[in-house]
Amino acid sequence: MTFAERMLKIDRRIIFAVIGLCTLLPLLYPVGLPIKVSPEVRGVYDYIESLPPGSVFLLSMDFDPASKPELYPQSIAILRHAFRKNLRVIVMTLWVTGTGLADQVISQIAQETGKVNGRDYVFLGWSPGAGSVIINMGQDLYTTFPVDYYGKPTKELPVLEGVQNLRDVNYAVSLAAGNPGVEAWYVFGKDKYKFELGGGCTGVIAPGLYPLLRSGQINGLIGGLRGAAEYESLIGQKGRAVAGMDAQSATHFAIIVLVILCNIFYVSLRRKQKG
Amino acid sequence: MPFDTLLGAWIATGLTLFILSFLYEDNPLFKVAEHLYVGVSVGYTIVKAYDTVIIHLIYEPIVKQGDWSLLIPLSIGMLMLTRYVPKAAWLSRYAFAFIVGVGSGLAIPRTISSYILKQVEDTVRPLASMVPGDGLTFSFNLLNPASNLNTIIILLGVTSVLFYFFFSVEHTGAGKAVARTGILFLMISFGAAFGYTVMARMSLLIGRLTDLIEFSDPSYGRATLWLAAVTVAALVIWARQRREQPPEG
Repeated sequence: MTFAERMLKIDRRIIFAVIGLCTLLPLLYPVGLPIKVSPEVRGVYDYIESLPPGSVFLLSMDFDPASKPELYPQSIAILRHAFRKNLRVIVMTLWVTGTGLADQVISQIAQETGKVNGRDYVFLGWSPGAGSVIINMGQDLYTTFPVDYYGKPTKELPVLEGVQNLRDVNYAVSLAAGNPGVEAWYVFGKDKYKFELGGGCTGVIAPGLYPLLRSGQINGLIGGLRGAAEYESLIGQKGRAVAGMDAQSATHFAIIVLVILCNIFYVSLRRKQKG
Repeated sequence: MPFDTLLGAWIATGLTLFILSFLYEDNPLFKVAEHLYVGVSVGYTIVKAYDTVIIHLIYEPIVKQGDWSLLIPLSIGMLMLTRYVPKAAWLSRYAFAFIVGVGSGLAIPRTISSYILKQVEDTVRPLASMVPGDGLTFSFNLLNPASNLNTIIILLGVTSVLFYFFFSVEHTGAGKAVARTGILFLMISFGAAFGYTVMARMSLLIGRLTDLIEFSDPSYGRATLWLAAVTVAALVIWARQRREQPPEG
């Protein structure tokens, strides 16, 4: 068996171990590689930065714990930014399995920034229907969510004063792991009720959302853990996303090397078989 | 450290290690974690849906607030359950007809407007821009999404890919060149999608390993180290027992 054949038949557990080490070592011994901010992430940041205090900001956390590593850091960074700007924050989710996670993150960041439930933010929870929920919210927020997640009547909350429906929202961001997500918010929300919309998403669905970004249907897109790291750099509060970038670079480098090596071995094997 | 946090950390660590043990070989520990994952997520969904839908959206408005009009959508929803009774299953067609009709009516116009018309509008955006003061200009910057050069590339890509999927005309001569261009754009887009997917999967691994590193701290009772040792020991014992068992048949 030639060297190329032996390499192509290598036990894949060795490759798993290589990838595992490339991920683990930079997490234990970080290098601090620079992070360049992309225009699409800056689009979301700049718009939130431009909102005056007291503006209504809606964050829809449309993901479940399976996507936590990518979208949880995004939600933390965006909430920190929104609270720093003293925006009135409305948090909700279109995914039933994401309710606990959304409650956890909003409670954590609110406590950290000294924000008060009902006065500075509200967590509406989940309501069934996805696109129907968005359309209902566009007509009347209070019939869609008569009470918040904790059972308090939404009409009595100071944070929702003057907010009747989605037309009164200054900016909405959907952090999505799939459907319903950014596309549903655009199709049933922004296109009909004309509020500004930004997006955050997992790396898997990011390529599918770039057409929306390019056409201006969304004004920014935070893609995956990398996007979260860029946002953390922009707000000056580095967290888990920035900490994961060294590991991400190392694993990507390892995968590129493995892909190149495999192609070299494959081409050499084909030439040998032909010759 | 509160007990519930500690318990959650140990359970999360154990289940993470059990799932990752699949990388070595399929084993009972992985099966336990996999079944737990499916069961817990379904159970959580059922409980949340029951609490939100049945209690807060149906029972309380009807019984406590006297909103009897909700009986109409409730009965339409109940008709769907007649699917489970073969003799009465025909009744569910009314419910499905209503749902499909409303869903289509809501979704189709909005989808056509958002996905087709708006995207076509952006694709055929003018190749040259009118800039006040500068007149007609043409921008070349590939890195600028609004660049006119990018507009040409996108227009070429969209038309060639659409032509590639148009099978009523044979792809020969000039048509073959257009179709091959479409294939090139498709390959580039699939490569980009694959790259993003790899990045996403690596991010998930980074997330899990970050948690495992955090839970190896003494404040969590070194959960990662103890449970890693238990997992490896369990795998070794299981592998030995499998080797000692005579083959079946």
